[in-house]
Order: sequence, then C-alpha cells, then structure tokens
Amino acid sequence: MARIKPPFAATKKGFSFNLGPEERHVVRRLIGEVGELLKTSVADDPKMARLFPPAYSADEEAETEYQRLMRDELVASRLHSIAQVEEFLADDSVGLLTFAQLDAFSASLNSVRLVLGTLLGVGEADEDLDDEDPRTDELALYNFLSWLLENAIQALMESSV
Amino acid sequence: MNTSTNRDNEGVKIHGVTLVAAAPATKERTELDESIAPDHPWIVLVWNDPINLMSYVTFVLQKLFGYNLEKATQLMLDVHEKGKAVVASGPKEKSEMDVYRLHEHGLWATMEKDSL
Repeated sequence: MARIKPPFAATKKGFSFNLGPEERHVVRRLIGEVGELLKTSVADDPKMARLFPPAYSADEEAETEYQRLMRDELVASRLHSIAQVEEFLADDSVGLLTFAQLDAFSASLNSVRLVLGTLLGVGEADEDLDDEDPRTDELALYNFLSWLLENAIQALMESSV
Repeated sequence: MNTSTNRDNEGVKIHGVTLVAAAPATKERTELDESIAPDHPWIVLVWNDPINLMSYVTFVLQKLFGYNLEKATQLMLDVHEKGKAVVASGPKEKSEMDVYRLHEHGLWATMEKDSL
C-alpha cells in the first residue's frame, strides 16, 4: 500500500516539506507572481482588492487616512513573507522549515488564494469541482493551494499545542 | 463632599508628580489615560468571506489575540454562520492595530465605535 505523505509535517527538527519538484515549482511561481503584483499594481486594481480590505466601512475620511498610513505597511509585510518563502524554495537541498517560515508560507499561500479566488469569483459553493465549469483548471489550482494551506495550518496548530 | 474634595486634591498632587517623573511614572500615566479614554471602546469585526479557510481563520485568531482553540473556533463559527463576529475591543489606536494585523493575514476586518 502506498502511503502519501502530507505536504507539511511536524518533525523534531522542524516542518518537513514534501512536494515534488513540479508542484514546488508551481508554488514558487505563483507566490512570485503575487510578489510582482504587490510591487507593480495600482491602488485600485480589483484583483488585489481582497489584500487591502477597508478598515472603516462607514467613515470615508478615516478610511482614506487608514489606507494612506497602512497600505505601504501591508505591501511591505506581505513582500517580507514572500521573500522568506522564496528563499526557502530557491534551495532544493533545504527540506525543513522553521515555525516562522511555515507561518510566512501560510500567509503567502493565502495571499495567492485571495488574488486567484477574486479573479475566479470564487463563492461559497465552489468547493467541489464541476467538470463542465470553464474555470476547471484554475479552480483545480485554487483547490490545490487550499489543500496546501489547510495542511500547513494543521501542522502549525499541532505543533503549538 | 469633603472627602471628595480631598481625593481631588490628592489626584492633582499625583498628577503633578507624574508630569515631572521619569519612565515608570509615564507608564502609569498611560495606563490611567487608557482607562478613561473618551473613545473607548471600539470594536473590531471580522466578516465572512468565501475564500478564507475556517482552519486558517481559527489559527490567525489564536495567533493574534492569544485565544485558546475553543474561543477561536467559536468566533470563527460565528463569522461563518452569522456573517460576522466581534473579535476584539479597546481604544481606537489598539483597534486600528488589531485591524491592521488581521488585514496582514488577509482577513476581512473592520472597526467601528461600539454602539451601546
């Protein structure tokens, strides 16, 4: 019987990362693309909207001030997480993640899901794939990222008990 | 009434000392100010959205606010089932930082003045 390893697993020395080279490459590419978007996209780019939610929904003045003060911070914080993941993924010989690295990995995976999910118009009912759906390939990618993130969170939560 | 006046006088005295004292007293002053801050409290809300995973939301609430698994799970379920939940409250500056940290993690968080 084949035993499939979970993508992330807590070990005594850290978290193992068990993806094949192709999947690893896909993850690296997607996270890199979101990093590029963070550096280049304009403030009102709709596909980035979920990365910058409003803080004050009923107070326009306070909201403008919040975005003015915090938007750059949000970009910098996300780029910092992405840089940590890219550094880890750049070296195939490094197999173990620290808690902080896996935490940054989770945040970055979620950033990709927020952008991809927005582009796909993902709704509550999109958890199951329908072969007829023209978005099948992208939804499969989205679901792959969801599966990765779910496993990352499980590993983080088990380790912090 | 007299007692009250005496207390006020004491208060002024303490206040005067605090103003000229160094770091530890300054900290006391800050704590005092927070407890009587006129804009206290604000509430921080997390709203339901179809993208964030339930496990991820629970993890983020535990990580940012130090809630135990039970409390974080209950808040996450409130968000999921009722559409929103109050995850924190406090003075404006603290609430804004809470919102920022939730945004950092991709959660859909807003803040508003608590309507009593």
